[in-house]
Amino acid sequence: MAGENISVMMVRGLLLVTVPPDPDDDTVSALQQKVLDTMDRTEAKGLVLDISTVQTLDSFFARTVAETVQMVALMGGRTVLAGMQANVAVTATQLGLTLGHADTALDVDRALDRLLASPSQGRSR
Amino acid sequence: MKSTLEGEFRIGTESDIVTARRFVREAATTLGFSLVDVTRIVTAASELTRNIYQYAGSGVMRWRPLHLAGRSGLEIVFADQGPGIPDVEKAMEVGFTTGKGLGLGLPGAKRLMDEMTIESKAGEGTTVRVRKWLKK
Repeated sequence: MAGENISVMMVRGLLLVTVPPDPDDDTVSALQQKVLDTMDRTEAKGLVLDISTVQTLDSFFARTVAETVQMVALMGGRTVLAGMQANVAVTATQLGLTLGHADTALDVDRALDRLLASPSQGRSR
Repeated sequence: MKSTLEGEFRIGTESDIVTARRFVREAATTLGFSLVDVTRIVTAASELTRNIYQYAGSGVMRWRPLHLAGRSGLEIVFADQGPGIPDVEKAMEVGFTTGKGLGLGLPGAKRLMDEMTIESKAGEGTTVRVRKWLKK
């Protein structure tokens, strides 16, 4: 059941994933697996994680996102987190979460611009 | 799901964490907390229910509105009969964990709420009580 409602889309050579508003741990883990599988199968140069509808960003979620960013980086891709809500940003900071070396952007549009403007090097087969 | 300001919910599976979050979101929103406070309370509840699931296997979450000395708020109690926390002070240190988490759960939840108390006895279980007060 988990992961059924997650779609990984390819947009101009980048992966775009929309995170559901209130995902359980299985869904978050499935999302990570799906992203890595797609990175493996395609020549995607980066990943945009759209978290604009996410209401609760707890420590499990944050750890999985940070791991995913690192894994995608090892595969030669860059990740941008797009659209974190202000209340989620406040809460995540007070909880003490860090999201690794993820870039952030106000929305998906700006995230795509960012990745297209400076594509990662060396991800070609 | 019934919309209730107070209630009790058993935690026994991983997906119960999400259900617990929904109960708490509903109660906090109905009580009139701001969106950022609702997010704080729900996130703290998520950490504390996950602690129950991970460390004790099962337990219970109880929540109720508070009306004390002209103030209103929400109290949530997380109780389990798990292994207990041998050193509560240590468990409150950021980064300390005996599990596979980040060690943010307890200290993080404390920062997000206004009050937090922990009662724990090794071998008998743990009760964590958190409160958030409505701002006037």
